[in-house]
Formats: sequence, structure tokens, C-alpha cells
Amino acid sequence: MEESEATESTKSMEATEEVSKAFEFRQCVSILKSTGKKAKSLRELRDILSTSSDACIFHHTYQYFLKGHILEYTNDFAHWAGESLEERALSEQLSNLDPYDFKEMSGVRNNLLKIIDNYLKSFPEPREAIHGDEFYFNESIIVVFPVGVRVENLAQFLIAIKYVDSGCIYYHFYEARYRLGSGFDDFSLWIEQVLGKHELVEKLKAIDPFMHSIEGIREHIVDAVEAEVRKEMEVIQ
Amino acid sequence: MLSDYIGVAPKGDLLLLQKICKKLEGRTFLHVNSTREGGGVAEILHRMIPMLNELGVKTRWEVLEGDEKFYEITKKLHNALQGNAEEITGEMWQYHFEVNRRNLKRLDLEADAVLIHDPQPVPLIDFRKNGKWIWRCHIDVANPDKEVCDYLKKYCEKYDAAVFSVAKFAKAMPIDEFIIPPSIDPLSEKNRELTKEEIDETIERLRIPVDRPIVLQVSRFDRFKDPIGVIEAYRIVKRYNDCILILAGSPATDDPEGEAVLAEVREHAASDPDIHVLLLPPFSDKDINALQRIADVILQKSLKEGFGLTVSEAMWKGKPIIGGATGGIPLQIVHGVTGFLVHSVEGAAFRIRQILTNPAMAKRMGVEGKEYIRNNFLITRQIRDYLSVWYSLENKGKSMLEL
Repeated sequence: MEESEATESTKSMEATEEVSKAFEFRQCVSILKSTGKKAKSLRELRDILSTSSDACIFHHTYQYFLKGHILEYTNDFAHWAGESLEERALSEQLSNLDPYDFKEMSGVRNNLLKIIDNYLKSFPEPREAIHGDEFYFNESIIVVFPVGVRVENLAQFLIAIKYVDSGCIYYHFYEARYRLGSGFDDFSLWIEQVLGKHELVEKLKAIDPFMHSIEGIREHIVDAVEAEVRKEMEVIQ
Repeated sequence: MLSDYIGVAPKGDLLLLQKICKKLEGRTFLHVNSTREGGGVAEILHRMIPMLNELGVKTRWEVLEGDEKFYEITKKLHNALQGNAEEITGEMWQYHFEVNRRNLKRLDLEADAVLIHDPQPVPLIDFRKNGKWIWRCHIDVANPDKEVCDYLKKYCEKYDAAVFSVAKFAKAMPIDEFIIPPSIDPLSEKNRELTKEEIDETIERLRIPVDRPIVLQVSRFDRFKDPIGVIEAYRIVKRYNDCILILAGSPATDDPEGEAVLAEVREHAASDPDIHVLLLPPFSDKDINALQRIADVILQKSLKEGFGLTVSEAMWKGKPIIGGATGGIPLQIVHGVTGFLVHSVEGAAFRIRQILTNPAMAKRMGVEGKEYIRNNFLITRQIRDYLSVWYSLENKGKSMLEL
């Protein structure tokens, strides 16, 4: 190989490495699909839930945070139990379910069924939802795309995270937990593997996904990263 | 066209539009409906067609032509789908089909994706040539006449997919059913930013006093919009907070009860100089826009509602909103965050007082509400969703599509 070619090749390898070290922001949007099934009572909900697709359970639990919501609930089943059946204890129990505790969707399904079965055994039969307020079983199709924002260090990351669409935060913070299945989100993984900032990663991993809206998550990430950037700026070389 | 929405619609929606259009570049997309002017469908098509062509998807819009008899039948179909008792005879169904068949001479149905809007052109599926065929139902079909619904289903099931506005409108069918809520156009006359002079002109012409807080409801004079309930709520509020009530609406030409309701409202409002009942001519979009912008709190206290896009319009103006918990209203209002959902006159009165006495909360709700509409109910999101449905049909079986 000629020297100039070798230099070019090395440069190209460096460039590739540089690119792979960068964090590329992606975003997802969800397109809602109806299954055509609905439940007007808790027993009907239970029966349909026991046979519904994994995609349907995924949509009503993991994707709850993609929607605008009140922090009273953490999934659609809890939301419906609280708002439409007005069964507060049931909605609290359903909200307490953490889907990220399970590796398989069957685990989420079985736990939802267990909560409902126990409730039906211990409490009087809940009333039916009023007409039009039934639980509608849906699924969704996720479309993922890069948003054209690529960062290479923490300071750039800080600026980007402040201004990207909320769909980006959902994709990298919530959806990633299920995709990666390791307790990591995309941000923590990049900061750990590329920037090696373990302390910051611990702070990000400590942000409870269930206790905040997406905008709340954004604020917490910004606070943690900003503190780290400030610390870096104070270091004397 | 797309660039007009930069800084208005979410960047993600515009990017996705661009990226899907890149994937579908050079492909053909046909829309068929039954009117070129008037109504939400025509409004979105007028915007969407040039935008998609600019982005490289060859998009056309064909209009089905019918005679008076045809439109009488399709009006009955529309009403039956909304739950009214209507008799559609076998002869009427046959005529409905016949008119569609006659249109074949002038309609070019050749396209990679065909989106058929509403029931008028639904039989065109029987003359499908190629491409993916999608039926878009814009009507509230939560409680349809069963017989009519079952007949239409026979056509629907021949499509590749159907699209409804709300999940509860979807039916059990052996085809893919997508949910795409309607949207507002932030650049239309009803929603665009207005100058102070434009707003002042409306205030002066309509003689609206602006010395006290304004409570507003914009809607047709229809019992389901509960204008009397709004006046009763205002009267409760008035005991605690001095304010002005504006009830503004256009006459409902297709509603024989409209005049009676308006007379009732006027009678109920009689002798109170602080209640302004405004009967605006059709196409008073700029005036409605101005009224929403001067209001302190906006109501949509419906007892029954299809989707209720006036809620999104109000929220787009950054105003706190109080809506009846019915139809599509709960999909637009996040209770306690972007406004309040109410179930009674007393509930509406309580929430009006709460908003009028907490300006900081009202402001926060307005800001949150506008952002919520920006992210969920703008026309760019609806166009993005149509393309996503087409793209997903071309990638059937995948629950995640990477662009």
C-alpha cells in the first residue's frame, strides 16, 4: 500500500471511530391501530387481556408515557380503572406495576391478570363503565427516524437535550429500556461507554421513569448533565 | 409549503414528513372525496396536495360527482352512521353504487395508494385497479345504525385498511384499522396569529367590552353544545367574579332546531347586558380567531360531541379551556394540566371561578395546552400519519419501522 493511501485509510478509520463515538438523536412517533375489541367491565377487560397480543399490552403499558397524561397513573389499565370504573384501590395497584421488571411480555400480562383476579376476589363487583367509556384495546406501529442532531461531548449533549422534541426523549429514555433490556437507557449507555462518566450515569439511572412526565425527565437530565459540565469546566489541567 | 410550518409545527413531524416522502418519492397517491369546497376534509386536502407534491410524492385529488338524489341518499347515510334512524332502501344502495360506477368514466383510479374519504365514494373499491386502498371515515360512528353500518362494512372489508378519528369509532373488522385524530391548521384564517389592529377591529365591530374578564363559548346553537348550561354556569360565577359571557356561533343550516335553540338562548340571556349572543355569518373565521384571543377562559361545555376541534382551536390560542367530558374532548384536554373536564353546570362554574381567580395557573394551562396541541393536533401530524399508514401497509407485519 502506498503511504498516501495508508494515511487516507487511517484517517478514514479515525473518522469512522469518531462517528461511532458520537451520539445520534433519534425520534419515534407512534401510529395507533385499533384491535376492534373493547371491554365495558373489569371481567371483560380481564378476559380480553388474557388473549390480547403482546403488541397490545406493550402499547397500553410501556407506551403510556408517550401520551400526554396526568401522573396519577402509569399505564392505560390503571387509568381506565381509576377514571372510568372509579375503582381507586385497583388503579393504585395497577399503577404500581413496573413493566421494566419483566423480561417477557407474558410476565407483564400475568401480573396484570393477578392484580385484577385478586381484586375481583376481595372487593364487590365493580360497576360497568358508562357507554362510550369502555376500554378500547389498541396497538401501535412505531416509526423511528434520526433527527439530524449528532453530539460528540457532554457540552454538546447538554444543548441538544434541551431542544430536541419530546419524542426523542421518549425513544432514548423509555423505549430504550425495553429495547436494551439491561436497565440502561440510550443516554446512560453512551455516557458510560463513550465518555466513561460513571457518577453521572448513576445519577441518570436514578431518575425514576414513572414519577415524571417526559418534560420532567428532560429537566432532570439537564440538571444532572449541567452539574457535570460545570464540574468539568472547573478542573485545572 | 412545508417551510411555512417551520417553527410552528414540531420539527419531528416535518422531518418525518420529509423522510417518508423521500422513501415514497415518485410514487402516486390519490385522494377521492365528494366536495372540492367546504368542510374539514376539503380544507386538509387543499393544504396536503401541494405539500406532498413539493416533497416528491405525486399526489392527486379527484372529486366524485353526484346528483341531488345521490346527495340525499348520502346525507341519510351520514345521519344513520351518526346514530339517527334512517331508512336506506335496496334501491338507494343500488343508486349509491351506480353513481360511483358512472364516475369511472371521469375518474383515474390508478395510483400506488388510494385514500377514499367518507361513505360517498366507498363503492369505488369494487373498481380497484392496483395499489393500497384505504378508507378514511371522518364521521362519528360510535353508535351507528346497525343495518347501514353492516352494509357499508361489506365495502370496507375489501379495503387494505380503514382509518377512524377516535378508537371508539373502530369496528371489529378483518382489516387493519388505524386511528388518526383530526387536526387544525395553524396557518388558516381561524388559527393564524392576528395583529393587534385585526383584533381591535373585531372588538369594535362586534361591540365587545374588554374592561372585564371574558368567558367564551364558540359553537353552533345546538342543544348538544349546551348553551343554556353555559349561561347558568356564568350566572353562578357572576355572584363571585364580575365577567362577560360571549356565546358565538354560526347558524346551523342543516339543523332545523338551530333557530329554536337560538331563540331560547336569547330569551335566557334577556336583560343581562353582559351576555353577548353573537350570530356570526358563515366564514367568520377571523372574528372567531379574534374572540378566542381576547377571551380569558374558553368553554366547550358539550353534552354530546363528535371530536370537538373547537377545543384544539381554543388551546392553540394559549387559553385555558373547560370542556364537557364527552366525545373527543377528553382526548384534547389533559384534566388539571391543559384545562378542566366537567360533567355539570356547577362543575363548569367552579372551574371558571378557579381560572378567573388564578391568573398564574390560567397562564400555565394556556402554555401547556398550546404545546399539547402543537404536538398532537396540527395538520402536519395528520399528513404525517396518512403517509405512515401507507408506508406501514407496504411493510406489513412490522411493528417498528426505521427510516
